[in-house]
Amino acid sequence: MANQNGSNATGVQGKLLDRVFYVTGILLFLAVWQLASMFKLFGADFSDSFSPVAAFSALFEMIKSGELIHHAIPSIRRVLTSLLLAIIVALPIGVLVGYFKRVEQLTYVVFQFMRMISPLAWMPIAIIIFGVGDVSVTFLLWLVAIWPLILNTSHGAGRVSPLWVNMSRTMGAKDTGILRKVIIPAAVPDMLTGLRLAVGVSWIILVPAEMLGVPDGLGYFILDTRDRFRYDQLMATIMVIGAIGYLLDSANRWLIKKFAWKL
Amino acid sequence: MKQEQILISVEHVSKRFERERGVMQVLHDCTFEVMKNEFLVIVGPTGCGKSTLLNLIAGLDFPSTGSILLEGEQVTGPGADRGMIFQEYALLPWRTVLKNVELGFEFQNREMDAGQRKAEAMRYLDMVGLGYAANKHPVELSGGMKRRASLAMILAIRPKILLMDGAFNALDSKTKMTMHQEITNIWATEKNTVVFVTSDLDEAVKLSDRIIVLGKHGEIDAVLRNELPRPRLGSAARDPGFHHRFVAFRETVMNVIKKDVGMRTCRVA
Repeated sequence: MANQNGSNATGVQGKLLDRVFYVTGILLFLAVWQLASMFKLFGADFSDSFSPVAAFSALFEMIKSGELIHHAIPSIRRVLTSLLLAIIVALPIGVLVGYFKRVEQLTYVVFQFMRMISPLAWMPIAIIIFGVGDVSVTFLLWLVAIWPLILNTSHGAGRVSPLWVNMSRTMGAKDTGILRKVIIPAAVPDMLTGLRLAVGVSWIILVPAEMLGVPDGLGYFILDTRDRFRYDQLMATIMVIGAIGYLLDSANRWLIKKFAWKL
Repeated sequence: MKQEQILISVEHVSKRFERERGVMQVLHDCTFEVMKNEFLVIVGPTGCGKSTLLNLIAGLDFPSTGSILLEGEQVTGPGADRGMIFQEYALLPWRTVLKNVELGFEFQNREMDAGQRKAEAMRYLDMVGLGYAANKHPVELSGGMKRRASLAMILAIRPKILLMDGAFNALDSKTKMTMHQEITNIWATEKNTVVFVTSDLDEAVKLSDRIIVLGKHGEIDAVLRNELPRPRLGSAARDPGFHHRFVAFRETVMNVIKKDVGMRTCRVA
């Protein structure tokens, strides 16, 4: 990260200094957390089990017993399945919306309206259609992931320069060639931005969605630890949710760095 | 002129654009022919329809009245026989220079493997003196390099006709001179036909076989044959006798343009 106000240290020393600040940030966060439990911020009876120390030991215990994997795998599976389905549906729609002005006009109000509705509001309808379980959760995640994908893809496809299209046509390109070689590659950076937003919002919605009658997953496990008064495990699960989310986002940032062209 | 030498016939072509503020007429009853292997330059004031005329020949737009024939056939759309070099750069920013030149091969589904495509693209990059920058992205190129890359990209599809729209505008004078040399060489070796639009009279006189002067309202003011001997660039240009003829011819073209500007006032159709 660039130093905007601080020193402009560069080179090896500067990078080391950058790292020191990143790590210090994490340590400060842990210290605040520890202090909060020491001052009984989580209530007189249970504050000890909310502490970072308790959370980390619960985390190791959950890793060893296999409990963590048992709940993390279905969560990741649900998010990835819904993202894949969202990509399959959203990218073609996004390209059409972005490239054809009439399709954009046809869909603009509906899409802007739909994307503002929390997918959890659809929950009763999802349960009526798909029943309680995996399919409903996946559907809700899909419903939240498609909007950023559609809107960003359409933005990207809409930015295609008419000059590129005209040039391609004078070079003997057919419509499919223009779509494959010009419009889709032009929209890739925006597609990836859309994907990053979609991953973020699906991972956030996952936890409440998994509180709707599935027998596993990190969202389910949050409620389970609460019911068993295992607040150390609750805090450990929260850490895991944050960590997996961070990793998913990092993977996305890597994709953007690798595949998004810049002007 | 023999019938079989005619490559493009522009017949009574007019073009009007419907705009919010009314109808804008840019071409008015233009009739002329482009011969095979000719270097035709079109000059005229801004807004007279020079670029539009190229778009019509390219098949990217259609005349309001009149017709354009390519070897006797009506132009119905764009085709790889007419390569267009646009005023702005049309390089795809996510592809390297080399991959941009290969784009035409991909569009045309030519029977070539990756190695052949690369070799063929390199040949054209070398032709425009840009072989050394094959793996750069457009964003890393200077204005002159982008022009060269666009030129290589279009040359690679081996068009019969090169349509060049202000292709060397906004280049510094040294780069422009080099590009003049290169386009002249390419035209002489590849034996294609060039229709070149510019507002630079020096350029028009240096490059052309014939110059068409368009008037302010898009009518043809004059068709002038350029009798200056070739080569006209480099050391040839320093010959005093040649220089005298060069200036005289440029003066002739200038006078046609001046007369047009002086005689008419702006008309809104």
